[in-house]
Amino acid sequence: MSGRKRVDGQRAYVLHAHPYSESSLVVEAWTRDHGRLALVAKGARRPMSALRGRLMAFQALEMGWFGGGEVKTLARADWQGTPAGLRGRGLLVGYYLNELLLKLLPREDPHPRLFDAYAEALAGLAALVPEAALLRRFEKSLLQELGYGLTLDREADTGRPVDPAATYLYVIERGPLRMVEGDEAGDAVAGRTLLDLAAGTLEDPRSLAESRALMRRLLAHYLGGQALQSRRVFMDLQEF
Amino acid sequence: MSHPTSLDELIEALRCLPGVGPKSAQRMAYHLLQRDPRGAERLSRAVGHALATLRRCSRCNTFTEEEVCERCASPKRDPSLLCVVEMPIDLNAMEQTHAYGGLYYVLMGRLSPLDGIGPKELDFDRLLARVGDGAVKEVIIATNFTNEGEATAHYLSELFHARGLKVSRIARGIPAGGELEYSDAGTVAQALIERRDY
Ligand SMILES: [Zn+2]
Repeated sequence: MSGRKRVDGQRAYVLHAHPYSESSLVVEAWTRDHGRLALVAKGARRPMSALRGRLMAFQALEMGWFGGGEVKTLARADWQGTPAGLRGRGLLVGYYLNELLLKLLPREDPHPRLFDAYAEALAGLAALVPEAALLRRFEKSLLQELGYGLTLDREADTGRPVDPAATYLYVIERGPLRMVEGDEAGDAVAGRTLLDLAAGTLEDPRSLAESRALMRRLLAHYLGGQALQSRRVFMDLQEF
Repeated sequence: MSHPTSLDELIEALRCLPGVGPKSAQRMAYHLLQRDPRGAERLSRAVGHALATLRRCSRCNTFTEEEVCERCASPKRDPSLLCVVEMPIDLNAMEQTHAYGGLYYVLMGRLSPLDGIGPKELDFDRLLARVGDGAVKEVIIATNFTNEGEATAHYLSELFHARGLKVSRIARGIPAGGELEYSDAGTVAQALIERRDY
């Protein structure tokens, strides 16, 4: 085994960081081509450390690291492009994206397309793009990329294209089934919504509201009962 | 290897300190018992005494032995200015400037959504009661320029504005005596974004 494997010049983001010792941090980094990694940033907690200010969440970085174990050693991290520019509410939404990735993305499992979708979502948040549609698009990419087989545009049983005028019941792990009498109406979703979500064009208020409920149900299933802290904090903030 | 119960308890207790794992806790315990029993005695008394006598100042939220700490009770301080900082160490940094004559409120943390630290954990209610005392006219938000500090500043400013208070945020940029050449790219970028008329 190559215990001293070296990688450099990787596009990356910091998802979260926590103190490791008096002077070091453990960084949960998400790299485009190597997936999510735990990296020790030695000396990053020292007062004059240049690293400390650079290892900020939401900031596009270029990283290098070495080591072959579960926790690798960060060799460098440099800012790439302009400052992330997330402010206020956008920061809270950003934390929600990071928490989804931390909880659902396995370590060392690269997903370059999802990485690009994340970069795009952050750019949207910085540009104050309405967050609801942006969130649904990211959640959809996340579930699709992680291989949860999200079928949105075909009926699960017949394989026929989803009818925008019909009402469906979305069965997790299977897909949309046409509603029949006696189905739980609370989980109903319009064909239009499914097609809008598939296309990523969420302008219709009903499509937005229904896709929010659908994504929430799907995410809760794949999170397997883990509560999202960032969502709870966000809700608490709305109460004040 | 198993230890006597009281030794185990000491090791376990030391692990509540930040950054102290089982190995260091064991090392500390042996050090205290073997090499420095007098130091251990003193530590134990100091912890007990601090717990028994210290409480949160009802005005600024820092630790004090009184109901209201000396700084908050001082008539030399301007009660119309309130500066909100994250930690006591930040308050000390502000005091070292000798440039501020108002009062403080110490949050004892910052919003940290991924760690589940929100407005309830930080007791925003207590802070809102403090700024609503009738004397405070302007709140200066001096949380750190990290993402967490910025998120905290944003939500606090909304709450303060809603209560009709004047709100300001400390500025950031190139350090005093600093040269662009030696400044971090992020610092220079922020200084440029937040440039002002001159
Ligand atoms: Zn006080």
